Amino acid sequence: MVTRFLKETDLAAVTAAWARDYRVLAPVREGAAIVYRVFSEDMHPFLGRPPTSSAKEALLPQTENLFTYTYRKDHADLTRTEVFLSEALPPEPTLILGPRPCDARGRHLLDRVFLERGVTDPQYKAHSAATLFVTVACTSLQNTCFCHWTGGAMDDETGSDVLLHPLVVGNTGGFVAKAVTLAGEKLLTSLGASLPEATQEMLAKLDERRAKATDPESPSEPVPDLSAVAESFLAVFDDLDFWTDQSARCLSCGVCTYLCPTCSCFNITDENHGLSGRRLRTWDTCMSALYTLEGSGHNPRFSRAHRLRNRVGHKFSYHPREFPQAATEPPSSPSGLEFSCTGCGRCIKSCPVAVDIRRIVLDVIKTATGAAAAHKTAQKAEEAQ
Amino acid sequence: MNALNPYIPELATIIETFDETPDVKTFRVVLQDEAKMAAFCFEPGQVAQLSVFGTGESTFVICSPPTRMEYLQFSVMRVGELTHRLHTQKAGDPIGLRAPLGNHFPYKDMQGKDIVFIGGGLGLAPLRTLLLFMLDNRADYGKITLIYGGRTPEHLCFKDELKEWAARGDMRVELTVDTPGEGWQGRTGVVPAVLTELGVRPENAVAVTCGPPIMIRFTLEALGKLGFTDEQIVTTLERRMKCGIGLCGRCNIGEKFVCVDGPVFTQAQLRGLPQEF
Amino acid sequence: MASESSASALSANEPSVNDSAANESSTNASADRMETLRAKIAAELPNVDFVLAYGRGFDPLHATPVTVRGEKDLDRLIFDPTCVQNLATSLYGLRGKRLGVVVKGCDSRSIVQLLQERLWERENLVIFGLPCEGVLDLAKLRATLDIASARAASFTGSPRDGLLRLTFNDDGGHDGERTREIETKGLLADKCLRCQHPNPLVFDHMIGPETLPQGAQDDYADLAALEKLSTQERFDFWKRQMGRCIRCYACRNACPLCVCKHVCLADSREPHWLSAEATLQEKWLFQVMHALHLAGRCTECGECQRSCPMGIPILLLKRMMNRELKELFNYQAGVSLEAIPPLHTFLMEEDRIKDRGLLW
Repeated sequence: MVTRFLKETDLAAVTAAWARDYRVLAPVREGAAIVYRVFSEDMHPFLGRPPTSSAKEALLPQTENLFTYTYRKDHADLTRTEVFLSEALPPEPTLILGPRPCDARGRHLLDRVFLERGVTDPQYKAHSAATLFVTVACTSLQNTCFCHWTGGAMDDETGSDVLLHPLVVGNTGGFVAKAVTLAGEKLLTSLGASLPEATQEMLAKLDERRAKATDPESPSEPVPDLSAVAESFLAVFDDLDFWTDQSARCLSCGVCTYLCPTCSCFNITDENHGLSGRRLRTWDTCMSALYTLEGSGHNPRFSRAHRLRNRVGHKFSYHPREFPQAATEPPSSPSGLEFSCTGCGRCIKSCPVAVDIRRIVLDVIKTATGAAAAHKTAQKAEEAQ
Repeated sequence: MNALNPYIPELATIIETFDETPDVKTFRVVLQDEAKMAAFCFEPGQVAQLSVFGTGESTFVICSPPTRMEYLQFSVMRVGELTHRLHTQKAGDPIGLRAPLGNHFPYKDMQGKDIVFIGGGLGLAPLRTLLLFMLDNRADYGKITLIYGGRTPEHLCFKDELKEWAARGDMRVELTVDTPGEGWQGRTGVVPAVLTELGVRPENAVAVTCGPPIMIRFTLEALGKLGFTDEQIVTTLERRMKCGIGLCGRCNIGEKFVCVDGPVFTQAQLRGLPQEF
Repeated sequence: MASESSASALSANEPSVNDSAANESSTNASADRMETLRAKIAAELPNVDFVLAYGRGFDPLHATPVTVRGEKDLDRLIFDPTCVQNLATSLYGLRGKRLGVVVKGCDSRSIVQLLQERLWERENLVIFGLPCEGVLDLAKLRATLDIASARAASFTGSPRDGLLRLTFNDDGGHDGERTREIETKGLLADKCLRCQHPNPLVFDHMIGPETLPQGAQDDYADLAALEKLSTQERFDFWKRQMGRCIRCYACRNACPLCVCKHVCLADSREPHWLSAEATLQEKWLFQVMHALHLAGRCTECGECQRSCPMGIPILLLKRMMNRELKELFNYQAGVSLEAIPPLHTFLMEEDRIKDRGLLW
């Protein structure tokens, strides 16, 4: 395995070197946010905290051209028109710098939808094939992080091409860069001497960190048992008071879904300019009432309660039920289920009203268990009579 | 469907349009590429995404049967942005078509059985494709009954065909309207009431129903009282759809997607889903 | 269920502080006031469907709106300088119910405006008014500290001149902890610094004591700073800011007066005002429309800006409109139930608008 050391002070130069071969998306600080921008030489990538946006924009851009159409009038008979379609251009080779392991794991869940569910999405596939992830491992959990609930970890390599482990050696800050894929190896070896080999001492430090993080004796975060959540959710599905209480605060905005590394729902619209235009794919959010509003005016998810229920349900019940085989493949969660969630916590951290999906999931399990117990007691009482 | 890119429609041309009711128009469409039209296959009940470029796309059932392939027929109610634009299109105009999408009526399981079609308004469109398919394979099926209702006689779709079917002699047609006009010779009253009055027998029968939600609700009740089991009732669901291939997310009911796993469901299948219709 | 126990199920990093005890000396959250609030809400519970109030969010610096339906929910209630949300925002979506709502002075102005515009019926609302000396702007705190590892927080004194004590996990990975004390004065939301209405203007129950306005007169220094820039510089400023908008519409949905929500012209396809593309032009056009639609209605509660996940200073646009309204009509939104918003009416001759002699 190729392991190199990238000095913090060399980060801009190394990024610039990569930018000669790739469109590099690098995280930069803008106001209070950390957002991905196409790298240019005057930029300073910031890897100190997880970016505000998730990395999914590299694979599923917020706006994407599906095709272009052009109408042409028949000059001999102006009532006649013809239409011509042309496909979108293929994506540029892209390198995204600075996602976290939870973002990189999101790739696997996006693959489930766009490559494995049934119909292969050609544009997602092209983006995915053209995109390298140079991910930054975490060294501590923020209080919104719960990657370990979903099978992730601070140094999980799933979905990454290169994983950068932050490390301070003496007075030198930097990253031990581990190649995860062949493409990642090439990224590291192509730069020759500007990326020296990581020393045994550095690797030993990482092993030590890893051992500590996974030490069963250490007082790390306990993972709640979520093995029943997919069924618990269905049990409380019809309890609309429960969902009203959970959602009364919800603003029905798109923060949670747009920042989510795994939310993949999209809209398709035509944007017309005269006799030509484009059919676009854009991010959509199940938290919006318009998402399911039918032409007739009927809306199966007319209230915030219905919509929040769908978001939680999709991630923690519908997904594991749709992909039950995932439970037997790594990397499923400690609960033995694969969730459509990598525990990045962005939906919690950026929610204007602090809706906490962890809390909802736990309440779902608790309420379902409580309801089941109450049902049992009632049954027993009935039998006794 | 475009094999390489499922989002890119096949170009098609409208060859004929006519009004069914004040707000329903029928379109007959052929693919511009003759070889593709000749090779086009679908099953009764499958749907298509029709595009009017510049406005967008919407889902409609192919309401002609696969046994009659001179053209593909769609009957469209004017309700939203796309359908308004579609209603302005005329013969010769180009549109886009992505099809076939979704599942289909379980017509093989229905062979040898009595079939009861129960429709309301434009709900007859999906029933029409199956009905015509069965009439074209008449020997494979038992008794065929159609109970069809609308708000007024004017609001009944496929008026000429209704007469034709009634005159065939190998099927029964019962028409009903909420508000009869002058000269109306059919029944007056709602569809479920007619169903109950006729006393349709559930033995070796399948009921196929499609119509407005309120009609479906009372039809299901009536069928239940007549002794139909959930397995014997087939219906179609409508959802807002965009991609039609199970990816854009919005038409899910639990982990099922109406655009891929539907639109045809038995009542037994629907009972197994989260109740969010 | 207490807020502490709800957090404990989530992580070992729970806010270990006992809210009521730690906040004893804070004006915004004295134990007495909380007792009064609980008692008043308990007394009103039979008369309402539920009460919208504040509970503890996922960490000790975040509050979250909670629904109080029964006595068992009462011990979830909190009120301290972390209670930033304007609960009036949730009201319009819950039309048809009879609700209780907890409001600060600034939030009550949104309710005044909703009532003025007949967007709610007064008789279907029970208002619990809480005089407030200020709430935190977490963005200010975040600029200096990594607050995502804070495990406990407590306030002492008035938010105007008191202290915030934060407890962190020791970063060295040991089980120890370290604490830090910060003056809350520098952390107050900008709106608090110019607050003239700390006491709710409309209420059924005032959970006192009332407090004196301590905000400075609004001099619109923020707007002046922006206006000093050339047109091109100002345009560049907004281009930079709006460039990171993700069109999530949190700003719109967090606005208590932006009641169109999902029938907003930003989402309208017919007429087709905005394209679905995430371009600068679309993002910018929406913000301009938002600001124009709030002219004379916006109470500057600041929820639009606070809710923006990308930290875009969109309140500036609304303040710009409000300053114009003040100059033209001498009007401030949400301070009087009797007033008619200037753009909801007209005078044949406006004092400060020249008609340029163009008569019919």
